[in-house]
Amino acid sequence: MNSVKHTAAGTARTARASQSVLVTIGRDLRRNKLLYLMVLPVIAYYLIFDYGPMYGLQIAFKDYSPGAGIWASPWVGFDHFIEFFNSYYFWRLIRNTLLINIYELLFGFPAPIILALLLNELRRQWFKRIVQTITYLPHFISIVVIVGMLVDFLARDGIVNQLLAVFGVESKSYLSEPGWFRFIYISSGIWQQVGWGSIIYLAALSSIDPTLYEAAKVDGAGRWKQMVHITIPGIMPTIIILLILRMGSMMSVGSEKILLMYNPLTYDTADVISTFVYRKGILEASYSYTTAVGLFNAVIAFSLLVISNSISKRVSETKLW
Amino acid sequence: MNNVKRKRWIAAGTSALLSVSLVACSTASPGGQGTEKPGDEAAPELKSLTYWVGLASNVAATLKSFGDMTVYKELEKRTGVKVEFQHPPVGQEKDQFNLLITGKKLPDVIEYGWTGYPGGPEKAIKDGKIIKLNDIIEKHAPNLQKILNEHPEWRKQVVTDEGSIYGFPFLRGDDYLLVSNGIALRKDWLEKLNMKMPETIDDWHAVLTAVKNSDLNGNGKADEIPLLISKNDMGGSVAFLGSFGVNYDFYHVDGKVNYGPIQPEYKQFLTVMNQWYKEGLLDPDFAVTDSKLKDAKITGNQLFATVMSTGSGIGNYTSLVKDKIPGFKLAAAPFPVVNKGDKKLWSAKTYNFSGGVAAAISTSNPNPEATAEWLDYAYSEEGKMLFNFGLEGVSYNMVNGNPVYTDEVLKPKDMSVAHAMARHVRANFNGPFVQDKRYMEQYASLPEQKESIEIWSEPTNERKLPPVTPTSDESSKFASIMNDVNTFKDEMFNKFIMGAEPLDNFDKYVQTIESMGIQEAIKIQQAALERYNKR
Repeated sequence: MNSVKHTAAGTARTARASQSVLVTIGRDLRRNKLLYLMVLPVIAYYLIFDYGPMYGLQIAFKDYSPGAGIWASPWVGFDHFIEFFNSYYFWRLIRNTLLINIYELLFGFPAPIILALLLNELRRQWFKRIVQTITYLPHFISIVVIVGMLVDFLARDGIVNQLLAVFGVESKSYLSEPGWFRFIYISSGIWQQVGWGSIIYLAALSSIDPTLYEAAKVDGAGRWKQMVHITIPGIMPTIIILLILRMGSMMSVGSEKILLMYNPLTYDTADVISTFVYRKGILEASYSYTTAVGLFNAVIAFSLLVISNSISKRVSETKLW
Repeated sequence: MNNVKRKRWIAAGTSALLSVSLVACSTASPGGQGTEKPGDEAAPELKSLTYWVGLASNVAATLKSFGDMTVYKELEKRTGVKVEFQHPPVGQEKDQFNLLITGKKLPDVIEYGWTGYPGGPEKAIKDGKIIKLNDIIEKHAPNLQKILNEHPEWRKQVVTDEGSIYGFPFLRGDDYLLVSNGIALRKDWLEKLNMKMPETIDDWHAVLTAVKNSDLNGNGKADEIPLLISKNDMGGSVAFLGSFGVNYDFYHVDGKVNYGPIQPEYKQFLTVMNQWYKEGLLDPDFAVTDSKLKDAKITGNQLFATVMSTGSGIGNYTSLVKDKIPGFKLAAAPFPVVNKGDKKLWSAKTYNFSGGVAAAISTSNPNPEATAEWLDYAYSEEGKMLFNFGLEGVSYNMVNGNPVYTDEVLKPKDMSVAHAMARHVRANFNGPFVQDKRYMEQYASLPEQKESIEIWSEPTNERKLPPVTPTSDESSKFASIMNDVNTFKDEMFNKFIMGAEPLDNFDKYVQTIESMGIQEAIKIQQAALERYNKR
């Protein structure tokens, strides 16, 4: 009885609230016309390229044939998912996808933070700028060129093997050894992105109140103590937001780079879900099957995002939503 | 709901057809077909076409589009049809095709290896993507019709099990054109070693070991690579694997289909290769050597023996290193056998029509009859000359009644013959026309090239499956089994040879392939072979 009254009141409240929200939005629209105009292409982008294609997701539950089209293909339920779970390559794909991401999280995620902290300690501005420029540069090189360089450097007669030969290490073809793949993938990724990734942390660093440092100095804190007690807590919200975002893309790996780098010899460690979807779906035209695989991947990624957000909400009060 | 929808589609389709035939009536073209029966309206005049086709790498080397080739410039002049070529990026033909066909609006003509359509060519017709051409060819393509009537064996290869013709086919017009690759080696090195042409696997072992231990290129380094073969060579020439009697795919013995990579013979082959790999006779990078690296190893005076083709292999390499490596000479090797006198079973010999390479007319084409007439031109006498030799005075001249390519084609500056020829004609790759033997006789003009065709044609090839196709119902099951099997067998091919997987595990490997459903796939292929024989 009580609860019924409560809900009724609640509905009325929400109705009133939504009305007032609409009024506020309307007022805001009028006031910031230009701003809304500017955001329009971004909204259109998401509608057209991210929400629109979701219509096609239904073929994960259908037996898509190009003749019948998306709508008219017959429903098959969860058949494609079951086929994937029973597939010979299922566990290998999951393992590879997760391991590459975990390594990237362990080594790739902290790298720009460390670089930003180190840069922050530099007192000579000109030196800092040079270091920044040099570390940014690789970001602007196309991934195709980066992998081309890797292939050349790591070939059997490449520069790496020639250097190692000086120390008597036997030459080998690194890109055809499954054991080397993850290391090469992660470390080249760090080299390429570390400078660019540090920008956002440097921005966060510059917003820390300098008086805090002065106060700390007065209290006799050295540079290490200053960093631990002021700098790191200062950029913590940024770190956590980026970490949550990173968790959301835990199941997706930049398939372009792997596609360029791998070969049948390294499938053991290099074949991930996205490359598998490309090979099976686009090259072998198993449209429905790979849509199911992709959907499965997306669902896991989404739940990881939700879980990490709720953990962070509880632990540190920093959250995405 | 579905029914209503279908009715609506039928209605739409009928009205579309009506309007097409109305147009057909109102614009009767002058000078219609002489062979037409009364009652057939002449096709309306064709002004332009969109034509989707992969840009062959030989063409891509110097041109941006087929439209810039002599053959198509001249064809436009002769027929008055303006063709807009749509080329997918080189190397992405398969991706682009698989995406293209999911769309509603298709190019007028699609040239592709139609066995690659998901479900096979018959499915493409049933899916309403391309038109079944039997009737249209009968009425509007007299030249192709005549050729198919004269060669029932070609016709058998061109039609599907259901008897449909799905495209204007690429036909190799002479058995001389059916073999174009096999194992070749450095004849000059063999002579330096004072050894004779290897015939058995043991001969090969002796020769390769000798190559390994002699500094044949004389640079003081032991950088000679005795042999380079990879899994890519297993599909065509079946080099060394065929010596044991099986291939890397389905084969048949007296009409009974089986699968090569699970046979004990395949294990014997792997054992030999594994041994050669350990002894350094097989290129340690065999699994990751692409065609560019391979070219570099041959022209860099490092490689002794590998699989190559007559034109872009023997011919190309010989001209590339002419001034750099004195004495350089390649020679085709006979197919190796296990014991002297064994029957040679396998070669890269293909069929007159293979892979389903054909120009199909899509259902989006508003004028299929006239398009068929346009495509049929390539099968006429003049068309054959145009597609094989190009334009008289530009790319060939008539000498004693035979077309002879000009120096621009055969002695080009700054490019290979393969590239120069592809600027003019489609003879040295493929297309919807009949390939002429006289092209190959000039393209492969070196004596060692001529010899290679003879040597590589020796094996009987009796175990090779004809170009069979699974039915559209079976094909998705077949594809789903074979996708897993193929990935697995390719990986294991490399692992077994490199020793990453001990050969003791061969039985386990066979079991895995069995568990993926290979027996069912064999059954499907068996049924397909029986249907093919009934065609």
